Amino acid sequence: MSYHRGVCNFCGTGCGHLLQVEEGRVRGVYPLPGHPLSQGRLCVRGWHLHELLQTEERITTAFIRKNGELQQVSLAQALDYVTEKLKKIKGEEIAFLASPRASNEDNYLFGKLARAVMKSNNLSLASDAGQEASARVLLSGGSWPAATGSLARLKQADFILVAGGDLTKQNPIIASEIHRARRAGALVVTVSPRKTQMARLSQVHLRPAPGTFFLVFEGLTRILYEEKKIKADYLEKHTENFQAFFKKLDQVDLGEVVARTGLSREILTEVAQKFYQSKLTYAFYPTGVQSLGQRTMAALFNLMLLSGKLGQNEGGIIPVTGISNLLGSYDLGLSPAFLPGYLVASEEKNIQKLEELWQTPLSRKQGQSVSVCLTENESLRALVVVDHDEEIIRNVNRIKELELVVYFGAYHNNFASLAQVIIPRPSYAEAEGTFTNAERRVQLSRKKVDPPPEVRPLWKNLTELARALGHDWKYQSAEEIFSEIAKVVPQYSKLTYRQLESHLGIKWPCDEKHPQGTDYLQLPEAGSKFRFVLEENVRPQAQSIAEEKANFPFRLTVGRSNYFWHQNSLMKRTFIPKREYNALLLLYPKGFVEVSEEDALRLQLREKQPVRIVSESAEMTLAARISPDVLPGQLYIPYFIEEMIPEFLLRQAAELEKNEEFFLPVRLEKGG
Amino acid sequence: MYWLERHQLDNLVKKLTESYELFGPRRDEVSGEIIFDRLSHPQQLDLKAPIPYNPPKYILFPHYEEILKYRYDRQSKKVVLGRVSHLKPKALVGLRSCDLTGILCLDRFFLGQEFVDEVYLEHRKKLFLISNTCVRPFPQCFCVCTDSGPSAREGFDLDLTRVGDRYLVEIGSKKGQSLAEELGLKKAGEEAAELKKKVVDESVSSFDAFALENKAWISRATNRLTTGFIKPEVWEYIGNQCFECGACSFVCPTCSCFNVEDVNRLDGATDRLRTWDSCSFEGYTKMAGDHNPRKPVEDRRNKRFFCKLSYSQSKKYLRPGCVGCGRCARVCPGDIGLPNVVTYIRREITGE
Ligand code: SF4
Ligand code: SF4
Ligand code: SF4
Ligand code: SF4
Repeated sequence: MSYHRGVCNFCGTGCGHLLQVEEGRVRGVYPLPGHPLSQGRLCVRGWHLHELLQTEERITTAFIRKNGELQQVSLAQALDYVTEKLKKIKGEEIAFLASPRASNEDNYLFGKLARAVMKSNNLSLASDAGQEASARVLLSGGSWPAATGSLARLKQADFILVAGGDLTKQNPIIASEIHRARRAGALVVTVSPRKTQMARLSQVHLRPAPGTFFLVFEGLTRILYEEKKIKADYLEKHTENFQAFFKKLDQVDLGEVVARTGLSREILTEVAQKFYQSKLTYAFYPTGVQSLGQRTMAALFNLMLLSGKLGQNEGGIIPVTGISNLLGSYDLGLSPAFLPGYLVASEEKNIQKLEELWQTPLSRKQGQSVSVCLTENESLRALVVVDHDEEIIRNVNRIKELELVVYFGAYHNNFASLAQVIIPRPSYAEAEGTFTNAERRVQLSRKKVDPPPEVRPLWKNLTELARALGHDWKYQSAEEIFSEIAKVVPQYSKLTYRQLESHLGIKWPCDEKHPQGTDYLQLPEAGSKFRFVLEENVRPQAQSIAEEKANFPFRLTVGRSNYFWHQNSLMKRTFIPKREYNALLLLYPKGFVEVSEEDALRLQLREKQPVRIVSESAEMTLAARISPDVLPGQLYIPYFIEEMIPEFLLRQAAELEKNEEFFLPVRLEKGG
Repeated sequence: MYWLERHQLDNLVKKLTESYELFGPRRDEVSGEIIFDRLSHPQQLDLKAPIPYNPPKYILFPHYEEILKYRYDRQSKKVVLGRVSHLKPKALVGLRSCDLTGILCLDRFFLGQEFVDEVYLEHRKKLFLISNTCVRPFPQCFCVCTDSGPSAREGFDLDLTRVGDRYLVEIGSKKGQSLAEELGLKKAGEEAAELKKKVVDESVSSFDAFALENKAWISRATNRLTTGFIKPEVWEYIGNQCFECGACSFVCPTCSCFNVEDVNRLDGATDRLRTWDSCSFEGYTKMAGDHNPRKPVEDRRNKRFFCKLSYSQSKKYLRPGCVGCGRCARVCPGDIGLPNVVTYIRREITGE
């Protein structure tokens, strides 16, 4: 029995922990004191990781489906079977669904298998719309594509803006840091329609009407511009297109901002002024599922830039990744948009560079995300998946039609049961690898216990597949793969296992110029400048600006929760978090919709009374939960309990999840 | 009392490893922090280390433990019971007095009531406990307010107090006595008690200068809690800041809440598991029929502080449920560890 250092694998905070190992099994978990970010704290999920790691509901052998039934086979048989099938499949006929929870090493080889071996650019994660939007906005602003600030000095901040989501649920320990900063004197302003716990912990809570987030930031920017509160020097020296941006600001109509957001001009002005005066300023927004729209992120970026808040000090923009290695997955190019190191996938010179590094020709065909492939690509024949741990699976029927679905995973779940071939993976404690948290901190996690006998690291099985398909991959360890990553991903170029081992993580970029890693984004060097992100550079907002019709007076939004954030099938294998989830389910076995006290009074609703939610295309019945957390005219459904998600939501899930700003116009009727 | 010379410390540890698994404070190489852990080498033991981040609670009340195994035999329609016990004797060396007091509180909970908890008893029987006087408190400490330190009074087999570069050894049990004799420790003279008292007094008087994190007002707070004079707004204020992580219970040397689960194993047997639990969770107090007596989170918070500080609880444990280790303040994402709560209560009393 003893404690071993590691990194929590649930959310993108990447808290340091100690796993208590006894006779080859993980028996307990304890927060690691002295971790630079978590400093000896864990959230409810992190405190129960060991329960998940003990579960026997594991995939421990390979399976092949024969006559409709999954049959146990040896690992070699499964790999042979997959090899034979893959030989007959062309690049555009296959898609690769990666896991934002897998290590950088596993993810890198997974991407390489797709691009270099199968010549397919159809490579993506499942729940990352916000992450991609965030990377695009930051890159087009001349920044690097992740946190520009450093949380190390958050406690000295004087202004903290938290936009969207509920960080106390999604990334509780980052929220805890914000809370501590507030107690040390920072002004915390939360922007979210719903009264979240984050909002309760803030001094100012702006509640824009759903769908009007971007207007809040465009409005704040306009106010600063009108009041000439701009850093002219900074703009002159460090930004290139501020004139064009001013022109755009001339078009922002504050009257419209006030009318559509429902926020008063006074409060917006007050917030704008405090923001402008602040010296160490942070802005947080969640990425991944339920992030903000791209236009909103751009507006927030521009607001920070106009006031000279980027590149000056440790303050900055912090996109908060909801899943452990979501950032690392993007760093390694698991997206149709980017190659490893955020090289734009559509540019010829980038493809050539990668061809040179990998010594193999690559496809020029523009890749698609897996969800687009499943809905639009009729020639799709095969799908390779790593650890899809959401219970909700969209496009089930299309997946069932495919000739080949290969599932690499550690736990049985709905997705695994759709597969023709299942290949087991080690749990997080059974393999070594690196993970990159929301602060760009790359952390090494060593193997703590042995996997079951038939279970080998993903990278090993991928290596074997590549070899069988005629590529001479020679990887013998995760460390070897990492040293190749350092050659391919410029931000990781000086990172080594040796260095990582003696540190509690190192923040990229770690390169020639910053061999010890980099704390925060510096001002651009001579020859390059920050840029305001103008709308023409930004893809249109994926959001329904559907005008509410008289028939559908309510705006319905969805959200996630602490224990079961986003359909996470992992939490169901724990005891305490599962019990907490069941507690809610016991109270509302058919699910619930939150209604404001005012609307409940007006409609004479009782607590738990069945109500019908009707949209233009469908309807469902749930219990009413009268809540002080939603505003009149709004409805809220927690989107995390599978049993609570009827067909109604499932059909619209893709849109509802695109970003937090999406809402559905509905009406509410009494009775079931 | 006896004297333990510096070089004899190694002998002591060596002797212990012959019959026990050795646990004690060690420094983690990378983070530099102190953990109370299984020591793979006796050299890892660091008796000068500050109070470890984790209490030794997990050694006798594990985070996750199979307490019973059973198997239902379909043919005979019988349940075959088996205890899963293969516990090894363990020596806990360098316990701080607060943590030893924590163990005594757990004893009262698991052994001192109507039912004796067999599983706990078995852990407990096999322990050898060596406490270590704090010659100087650490920033988070307030054991002087909770009557649990800086020096242990009971419950140890041996108690060490550093005096200069050797240790005064106080014997607390027969096991301890025979170990001291086996090691051939030198008997201390008349002056020993006086010497020890001086060290402890000095430590106590240095709390003002060193134990700076938690300005304690524990006794006044206890009074307030018991008489129920704390305004609901104070609890609401506290409750709003709770992230419901459970940490305050998990890291507390005296918290004994647990959850029991039966898990069917692949081999057909069922394991009955005991895991740590916390009153901060909504599900913890959930009752059948949709009635949760402590639904709002502020009520659940309030419950914990009641448990730690009110007189009724103190009567059960014959002492306050808090031993002044300050850990719950360090792990709390909401910054509402017990000492902070005491501060809020103090502010309410003084109108600061
Ligand atoms: S905040 Fe995230 S990384 Fe930290 S313990 Fe919780 S789930 Fe794990
Ligand atoms: S609380 Fe008291 S007994 Fe515990 S470590 Fe601090 S000084 Fe020592
Ligand atoms: S309540 Fe807090 S300070 Fe008191 S014993 Fe428990 S953890 Fe230590
Ligand atoms: S440690 Fe703090 S946040 Fe966590 S349950 Fe306890 S009081 Fe709440």
